Amino acid sequence: MTDHMQHHSGRVPLAACPPVPLRDVENTGGRAASGTRRTLCRAKVWHSVFVTALVVLVTLAPSRSAQAVDTGYLLAPKAFRAAADKVRPSLVTIETFGGIAKAGGKAAKKGRTPVRGISKPGEGPTTGLILSADGHIVTSTYNFITKPPIITVVLHDGSRHVAKLLGQDETRGLAILKIDTSASEGGDAPTLQPVKFAPPRDVVVGQWVVSVGVGYGGDRPAISAGIISAKNRIFGKAIQTDANTSPANYGGPLIDLDGRVIGVIAPLSPRSTGAGAGVEWYDSGIGFAVPLHGQSSLIERLVKGEVIKPGRMGVQPKRQTKPLPFGGVEIGKVMPNSPASKAGLKAGDIIYDVNGIRIEGTTDLRNVLGRYIAGDTVRVAVQRGGKLIEVDLTLSPGSDRPARPTPRPKPKVTPKKPEPKKE
Amino acid sequence: MTQIERQQAIKARLAAFGGGHAARPRHTTCIAGVAAQKARTIGVGLAVFFVAMSINLVGVQAADEEATPADNPFAKAIETAQHRTVRIYGAGIGREHGYATGILVSADGLILTADGIYLAGRRLNVMLPDGRLYPATLVRRAPQIQTALIKIDAKTPTHFTLPQKPVGEAGDWVVAVSNAFKVADRGEPLSVNLGVISQRDALDTKRRMTEMQVKSDVIIIDAITANPGAPGGAVVTADGRLAGMIGKLIQSGDTNTWLNYAVPSDVLHRFVAGKPLTDDANDGGPKVVTPVGKPYVGIRLFTLSGKRAPAYVDRVLPGSPAAEAGLRKDDLILAIGDDRVPNIRAAEGALATLKPGEETTFTVKRRSTILPIRITPTAVKSND
Repeated sequence: MTDHMQHHSGRVPLAACPPVPLRDVENTGGRAASGTRRTLCRAKVWHSVFVTALVVLVTLAPSRSAQAVDTGYLLAPKAFRAAADKVRPSLVTIETFGGIAKAGGKAAKKGRTPVRGISKPGEGPTTGLILSADGHIVTSTYNFITKPPIITVVLHDGSRHVAKLLGQDETRGLAILKIDTSASEGGDAPTLQPVKFAPPRDVVVGQWVVSVGVGYGGDRPAISAGIISAKNRIFGKAIQTDANTSPANYGGPLIDLDGRVIGVIAPLSPRSTGAGAGVEWYDSGIGFAVPLHGQSSLIERLVKGEVIKPGRMGVQPKRQTKPLPFGGVEIGKVMPNSPASKAGLKAGDIIYDVNGIRIEGTTDLRNVLGRYIAGDTVRVAVQRGGKLIEVDLTLSPGSDRPARPTPRPKPKVTPKKPEPKKE
Repeated sequence: MTQIERQQAIKARLAAFGGGHAARPRHTTCIAGVAAQKARTIGVGLAVFFVAMSINLVGVQAADEEATPADNPFAKAIETAQHRTVRIYGAGIGREHGYATGILVSADGLILTADGIYLAGRRLNVMLPDGRLYPATLVRRAPQIQTALIKIDAKTPTHFTLPQKPVGEAGDWVVAVSNAFKVADRGEPLSVNLGVISQRDALDTKRRMTEMQVKSDVIIIDAITANPGAPGGAVVTADGRLAGMIGKLIQSGDTNTWLNYAVPSDVLHRFVAGKPLTDDANDGGPKVVTPVGKPYVGIRLFTLSGKRAPAYVDRVLPGSPAAEAGLRKDDLILAIGDDRVPNIRAAEGALATLKPGEETTFTVKRRSTILPIRITPTAVKSND
């Protein structure tokens, strides 16, 4: 069995287990089960339980299958609890004080709902994860939508520390905090236990996951169980899960049954990068977590205080009634002072290719640009009057609006009475 | 789009499954149907589907047989709950829904349900699991847990026995059985959602704009139960024990999200037995406030930036309890006792509830350090 397969079989959610290994686990802490099957899986209790169960289920016992299913499925809660216990020392509670800014900028001023789906972002405590022993903490930007001037962090041991907001990645919805780990007055320096991230190759669609958060308060975090629904969501930046995610656990971890962090839970939307976008999907069975394994360069940039914004070209595609014969996106309008206008792109140009990736339509263009951030330089190939031109342009933070086709001219109609506003 | 409408849109199509053993579906559909109740259908649905598939792979002879409870790890729990859960129909007003769910808790027709507008009207009907309809009367209410006890004039030998001790812990599977969205017609079994217990804890919650507290522990679950008609439904562990009753629809004051929670069955036991709801006798009824005078701490907060600004100390009055304890101007109050103080409004609320003569720890931020400062408020002078 390859390493990959071990992980796969170790986490297959059918998790059926006959009564015998169950007793092993309970009585000996799993040593008996894992010891005998060390070749099949690492000395991890749950791996061995699941693998044993799988082997038994497939090879033996049609007569016992029903019982095995019963026991195996009912065993899962123990694994959920064990995994949550493992990550608990690395969980912190983030408290904010003050903060009156509203999300949504102009929309909020016009009296619309500031954060979609929720009347206003909460003021309650939220969740964060210890990233490094010297006091860096990662959490969701959702927790700072109201721009609170004061942020404190409560560690697992109950000690409270003043935190500073460093960088933010708006494309991933993540923020980095730093707490001062030098001894506070009269106390010892806290010991910080950084989280362990699961490598992407260990993450399999369909595997069990547990989301953990402290948003409901209390001594113990709240947990929700589910599976990985998809990898590579939100332009490859997030993993999708059906475990509950909501303001009660944004910034908290999505963990596997070994207690390793698969990703940091954050509200995200494939259609908008505005603050709080995606929160309308809370508790709906669609949730996202941002993996950080192997993202040390990103983390370094955030630690330095960088604010990473989505990259914009500054073009509005022309609305097409049918696809262009050879694909591509015809530019309807080039925004003034945008990267596109600086690079000399014009209305009527047809974008065929961005950094070697074929563009068939506006969705492709949005998806390709979603993989880059402001400051990245991309090579764009456009067709103008039968000639193919290549230009390099450096994406800018630009406006918050995603690339959208220019609206068709409005048909002339007799003006109607404005409809009463619906709340 | 309101939260409820949003959830309706997502869940209405999921809730259509009966999922009951009573319907005697073949076991694969039965198991998949149960799992599909969960809002996150794909998840457990897939998981259980695979389980069901493997049963078929290894035991072909099972395919033609009727489902047995052992095939579905939740069959027993679902059947137990569905035979002890009733539909409640009353009057609705505006956006307040006129229907709910209830659980049978005695052989002579006592039923627990969540408090709601449907209890207020003249007409209150209960439909038993077998489809018989009875008029019901309100026995009593417990506002602290937003729960009501009602009674029908019928023999109900199949009922839940309320436990004296808590049932279930975080991570345990639970099935929630309710008439969410009224999707189950007469003769159809009630809908089932699958989830785990997230946490058991006391909550500060609010409903609409009015602060309202459920003053007992609640069980937070990750099955989506914050839907019209679901309150009063049964939350049962995998072995069929009643863990709690789906509570009245409320929003979390901390996160502004709808809460999926249940009133724990041991708290329900206390309510039905007429005991105080928690061990703390004061929580059983209206709190008795002893008039010992207003508390005096001796601080002025920096209120110029508005009530939602952080609670900075603007002035410490000389000779006051705050001054004696060492509180200083420009200190930022983070917490008073166990109450977190995110802004001035919260600070003023917390200061007003202090008790004269009782030492309280103020958690204070002074530059980048956090200090506990113990202040014993005195009673306010009569002329203040």
